[in-house]
Amino acid sequence: MGAGEYWNPKTETLGREELTALQLAKLRRLTEWAAARSPFYQRSFKEAGFVPAQLRSLDDLRRLPMLTRDQWMASQGEQPPFGLLPVAGREAAIRWHTTSGTTGREPIRVLDTAKDWAWQAEMWCYGLWGFGVRPADTAYVAFGYGSFIGFWGLHYGLEKLGALNVPGGAQPTDGRVRQIVDFGATVVASTPTYALRLAQEAERLGVDLAASPVERLILSGEPAGSIPQTKALIERLWGARAGDTAGMTEIGTIMIFECRHQPGGTHIIEDHYIEEVVDPDSGEPVGYGEAGERVVTSFGRGIIPLVRYRTADLVVKVPASRCRCGRGFDLYEGGILGRVDDMKLVRGTNVYPRAVEGIVREHASVEEFQLLLTRDGHFDRVALRVEPSPETTDAEWDDLAARLAKALAEAHEGLRFEVERAGVGELPRFELKARRTVDRRDTPIGG
Amino acid sequence: MGATDLLGRPTTEVEDELLELYRRAKALLARDDLAPCARAGARVAAVGLWNAVNDLGLEHEQLLDLGA
Repeated sequence: MGAGEYWNPKTETLGREELTALQLAKLRRLTEWAAARSPFYQRSFKEAGFVPAQLRSLDDLRRLPMLTRDQWMASQGEQPPFGLLPVAGREAAIRWHTTSGTTGREPIRVLDTAKDWAWQAEMWCYGLWGFGVRPADTAYVAFGYGSFIGFWGLHYGLEKLGALNVPGGAQPTDGRVRQIVDFGATVVASTPTYALRLAQEAERLGVDLAASPVERLILSGEPAGSIPQTKALIERLWGARAGDTAGMTEIGTIMIFECRHQPGGTHIIEDHYIEEVVDPDSGEPVGYGEAGERVVTSFGRGIIPLVRYRTADLVVKVPASRCRCGRGFDLYEGGILGRVDDMKLVRGTNVYPRAVEGIVREHASVEEFQLLLTRDGHFDRVALRVEPSPETTDAEWDDLAARLAKALAEAHEGLRFEVERAGVGELPRFELKARRTVDRRDTPIGG
Repeated sequence: MGATDLLGRPTTEVEDELLELYRRAKALLARDDLAPCARAGARVAAVGLWNAVNDLGLEHEQLLDLGA
């Protein structure tokens, strides 16, 4: 591969041994910084009997205690509003963001300094450049800019690499479709769910997106960007290639991206992070090819050091050699596979929302869907509520429902899914972080 | 003796130039006689160069005490 393939040819092409040495050098400095400045880490390192001088090899990483979201939240409660992790107060920061709040829990509040904020754009540059975005591109960002950190880093990353950035902002979907076409966008950034919604809206407006100049879609915010059926549907509707990325508020930006070779996974930006994969129960590391929980250490955000943070993301790490791009960065096969607690147990059968979405997205006439779990006495019921395109006839619906029920049962040891037709516009639409699984089994009858 | 990166490898001519500019931007930012417009510009410069030297594995440090 030529040097033009990479945003940072020097470190993206390092071998494993050199990459590990670089990570160790950065880890020493990060832990020294955290031990010197962060009240949270001063306490947790002391409790674990850890001092940075103990870091002689990357294996010593395991001497460091893991950090959980619950600990972070408890810390925010102990010292509102930002907790004890930050090394400085709001006066040192230029940005204040929060988690999306889609779980209904109290959000995590984060600060960024000028350096941290610029670094977040830098991480997006690795991903954007890696998927083929170049200065000549016109990029449309379909994002309602707000306190959720979401695509902010992408916005500045586009400007940094020299692309023409069109911030979509808060406006109706039809307005965004028209702007994408009117501005001649060659790149569109959105969640996977919203990419589908834009395509549906374009069809209603009589706009042929496949004939538009859009060549690349940058997907983020949901695991669906790596679900093969969802990605295939998006690529077909747009006539463009879709690249998955994933990030999180706790680090402020993305940590993985799909390169232009689309190897069926996402590269980890390993010169800026250490990504471990562990057994969610024991916390012990798992090997290549085994599913486990992501644990991230970030070398980026200085005001809130992040050391061994348990993300609850379910991933499978595979070696860099899986991709032919020449990067030394390992990959997560299939991107973020879901959450470690995503799996639902229904009458003794495991139901994974990602697998259900994969089956549903094989049918392009499905506009929106919802997986609804209820309890009838002692009997669990699982229903797939489907909103087909409005022009779907009764006969077409009967055929679609039968095929969905059959495919879902076959994929779930014969478990019966009740496939129900929802009215036009009845199911919720999402711009960020779609939540299509509704589990009402703990709700008391009449509750 | 020449400079080395975080891996202990000798730095290139371009890397030496970047490191020199980075150190000068930091030194400027540390002064207490900068006009607000000059401080803001120096901060942008230091942060931009920090990303370059950090990406290239030349330096890895925090700029919080310099207001960045």
